[in-house]
Amino acid sequence: MTEKTIAVTVNGTARELTVEPRKLLVHAIREDLNLTGTHIGCDTGNCGACTVYKDGQAVKSCLQFAVQADGSDVTTVEGMEELPEAGMGESDLHPIQEGFKQMHGLQCGFCTPGMIMAGKALLEDNDDPTDEEVRENISGNLCRCTGYQNIVKSIQYASDVYNDREPPTSPVEHEDASVETAADGGEYASGGGEPATDGGCDCTGKPGLSIDYPTGGDDR
Amino acid sequence: MKAAQFAYHEPSTVEEAVDLLETLDDPTLLAGGQSLVPTMRFRLSQPDDVVDINGVEELDYLEEDGDQLRIGALVRHADVEDSPLIDESYGSFADAAPLIGDPQIRNQGTVVGSVAQADPKGDWGSVLIAHEGEVVARGLDGERTIAAEDLFLFPYETDLRPGELITELRVPVSGDDEGSAYHKLKRKVGDYAMVAVAARVELDGETIADAGIALTGVDITNLGVPDAADHLAGAVPSGDLFREAGEIAAENSNPEGDEHGSAAYKENMVRVLTQRALADAFERAREDGPAGSYGTEQLTVGD
Repeated sequence: MTEKTIAVTVNGTARELTVEPRKLLVHAIREDLNLTGTHIGCDTGNCGACTVYKDGQAVKSCLQFAVQADGSDVTTVEGMEELPEAGMGESDLHPIQEGFKQMHGLQCGFCTPGMIMAGKALLEDNDDPTDEEVRENISGNLCRCTGYQNIVKSIQYASDVYNDREPPTSPVEHEDASVETAADGGEYASGGGEPATDGGCDCTGKPGLSIDYPTGGDDR
Repeated sequence: MKAAQFAYHEPSTVEEAVDLLETLDDPTLLAGGQSLVPTMRFRLSQPDDVVDINGVEELDYLEEDGDQLRIGALVRHADVEDSPLIDESYGSFADAAPLIGDPQIRNQGTVVGSVAQADPKGDWGSVLIAHEGEVVARGLDGERTIAAEDLFLFPYETDLRPGELITELRVPVSGDDEGSAYHKLKRKVGDYAMVAVAARVELDGETIADAGIALTGVDITNLGVPDAADHLAGAVPSGDLFREAGEIAAENSNPEGDEHGSAAYKENMVRVLTQRALADAFERAREDGPAGSYGTEQLTVGD
């Protein structure tokens, strides 16, 4: 079947891809561009883990073909640290990423990239959303770990940063997480100073989860 | 799973699109794609050709034109949700839009695509029927209009002929004395309606000059209830009158029981939601402010 060459700007870089028309945008992002921060959770358009920021809107990249993104500007979770807002908070991260880290907005981390991109779209339109507005905005994103409370707080943390307000103090211990002895005499795995609250992917989309490695081609 | 292979076509005018639909063997139209893409990737649908009309810019408009509100085929649910014009005068549209899917779905999915999909649980069909709207279908033989009332034949099946494309929806412009509302019962955010009711009321002084009632999810298609509308026309609005209209709507509905609720429960919800939608529609017809600022709370199961 005839392939089509498309031009897409992804995270600020102009890319050219040659794809079959039936290839989904999420597969092009993950497999052709190796940007595996964008996750595939449900394959049906329900879960929102594949959410990307395309031409100023949050969209589910599993609900459109890559050819439909021809000429578009797409931001994935990997591009968040390159955006102008990155570094506005206390770290080099994007304020939303920093919010997820500080407010314990993730546990397994699977839904996080989609949540972050949905949050990005919301704050772009409304940088000071109410609790209810945040909840409405992430209603297309499912999280099976957190119960959503801390995700809402994480996005509001970013809103505080955007508006020059002092964000709330993190409930998570970040400093001096040196090796501790557990009750059974073993050691807690605490590695180099930060608790592994997020499967090791620290909200940036870098490989941490097994899903974060490409599947190696078109054999699905 | 991947979609079956297909050839991808990108017309940039309605004429080109219609020409493709007519000449290709097994074409499918792609607009928002929020229903089509998943059905294709599960191979429930395997078209040889996909005609993507997203580049047909002439179909992207939402405007009042003379005595009609016109919604072009590329208008997304989110466009309706964000439209000041809709918020000012078209309460049922303003109610329905934010209750569809989720924010990402609403950014992509189109109103016309949803109507063309003819899902009996789709929201826009009922809104369109309650407003006595119509769709404009373009084929190689030219243009024709189909009344919303006659459009829906069976689940996922409309009166459209092969090769025809819905270019726009039209409803009569809503006057100062008209109000409408849409009440939808669903289990949780993002669900299709278990039951929903669209109501429209036009006042003439103290009496109702004209009305429209249509139901979602309680028959094999979106269902207009002309008996209820006739009962309202010429009458003086009151709680009793709206209750009677609710009874008529419930009698005319044909819900099927399922894991979410029995047929009797759904029928009862038709009665309740009809009253609520009528009360809101009446309130909005009487007041001058934006439709979005009036109305009772939408129901979610468990409230």
